[in-house]
Amino acid sequence: MSELIKVKQQGEARCEGLSYQDLLDDETIEVPAYLRQNTNPYMGDEDIGVGRWIDRDFHELEKKKLWPKVWQMTCREEDIPEVGDHHIYEIVDQSIIVTRTGENEFKAFINSCLHRGRILRDCDGHAEEFVCPFHGATWDINGEFKGIPCKWDFSHLDQKDMSLPQVKVGTWGGFIFINFDENCVSLEDYLSPLPEHFARFPLHDYYKGAHVERVVQCNWKVGAEAFMESFHTLETHSEILTFTGDANSQYDTFGDHVSRSVTPMGVPSPHMPEVTEAETMRDILELSGRMATDSAEGHEMPEGLTARTYVAETNREMFGEIIGESLDQATKSELEDAILYMLFPNTQVWTGYHGNIVYRFLPNGDDHNSCIFETMILMRYPKGTKRPEPAMKNTLRPDQAFSEAPEIGGLGPVFDQDDSNMAAVQKGMIASRKGAVSLASYQESRIRHLHQSIDKYLNA
Amino acid sequence: MATTDTLILATDITNSQTVAVTLDGKNILICNANGDFYAVANLCTHQRAVLTGGRIRNCFLACPLHGVRFDLRTGKPLGELTRVPLKTYDVSLADNGNLQIELD
Ligand code: FES
Ligand SMILES: [Fe+2]
Repeated sequence: MSELIKVKQQGEARCEGLSYQDLLDDETIEVPAYLRQNTNPYMGDEDIGVGRWIDRDFHELEKKKLWPKVWQMTCREEDIPEVGDHHIYEIVDQSIIVTRTGENEFKAFINSCLHRGRILRDCDGHAEEFVCPFHGATWDINGEFKGIPCKWDFSHLDQKDMSLPQVKVGTWGGFIFINFDENCVSLEDYLSPLPEHFARFPLHDYYKGAHVERVVQCNWKVGAEAFMESFHTLETHSEILTFTGDANSQYDTFGDHVSRSVTPMGVPSPHMPEVTEAETMRDILELSGRMATDSAEGHEMPEGLTARTYVAETNREMFGEIIGESLDQATKSELEDAILYMLFPNTQVWTGYHGNIVYRFLPNGDDHNSCIFETMILMRYPKGTKRPEPAMKNTLRPDQAFSEAPEIGGLGPVFDQDDSNMAAVQKGMIASRKGAVSLASYQESRIRHLHQSIDKYLNA
Repeated sequence: MATTDTLILATDITNSQTVAVTLDGKNILICNANGDFYAVANLCTHQRAVLTGGRIRNCFLACPLHGVRFDLRTGKPLGELTRVPLKTYDVSLADNGNLQIELD
């Protein structure tokens, strides 16, 4: 085991077989430090009451103490490319106009008219100035008041500050974040160590190649948790076991806001001792949806090579060709594994040289029993060519399957399998007589971490 | 159905540009969205504002007044300000390179 483990780890027992750190020992390229980190401080093993997912009171508490305090991702900078472009970000019962006010400058205004309170902007778009559709009160895009018709009737407002109230804004990786709390920690401190870990993946240089969303009938945390452990692979995604080291995954937590899972790919599950290298290679190409090709046709495993190496080298070559750059410095892990970070509370991003997948789980307005699940895929494009336009958001109807969104390819059928649990978990939690869930000590430790971080906000 | 020549060369309307024409007494807006041409009634269904110069993104045209977005393919609005679609007209390219519109 790596000597980097200095503290008592959550759940000291580990699955038999090659650990992720063992696989890193087999890399031929120098392994970057962020992959060598292996940190999961002990957090306890107590049951967690289901109220956190199903009670209205808990939702109200989050509304009062969580959402007003956290940095939250609103949209991509590329979604609002020109000055005056804006995105309406809605969280629970709050509405914010996120606007580009300069080449590299953004502002976020409370979306509420200072006259009689109508929302100022109804939808995303472009504006030279913000004219309220009710009586015509107007602000420039920097939030300065420009006037209201029948000025003679408003002389009592002359001495008042009529600038649009703002909330804090910050950017990282091409994402725009806001925070309602004036006294919040800086975005930089909040994100740490995420930017360091993404040093090899400049997400701000990538474009949004796909964006799909759908309402799911579960609390936003149930949605997020569906992507925070690989333990469910065995029962939920059994067809990917021939190439997924599910139970050999590594789980890390970094401070209060960041956690990570690394699931080795191109190796069979420890639950499947009989799989051959050729089967692993064929299945990962055909089924994972994240490799450079989705067909195993014409791929023969060369004698003496492992599937993990063969697929990594195939990806290295093909991904490199697509972007017109050499990927000699990429580890096999970064070319193939599932390395998924969570940024507290509701955003998740993959590293790696395939398209970088992003998930977000927003409460569905003020309803605590449903959420909006979004997936974006950030893609590279050849250096020196024009940045492609970002994809428009594709909003699926509640009765549509994710596999009906062709732009997310092989992810769709996988999400459909996850989807078969999400609403069912919400329902089962409500029906539960036990009234609590029990978590796997290690494999579900990131879920415990999420809830402990939520508690820090709720108890502050 | 009457095919009417707009007397506008397709090559004269650049990407994301809108050009208003009056044909048969109707004010029509021709839009270039990523190289595809669309024609819609030049009158927002929210408050009858003229749509000329409205911002085009993907195949949506935004009203300059309050920002309602219309899908240029169908005329359907997004958001809450109006539920009434814009009238759309079929556009085609004549042999001489002019855009022509189907008026009914
Ligand atoms: S509510 Fe906005 S102008 Fe009256
Ligand atoms: Fe899953």
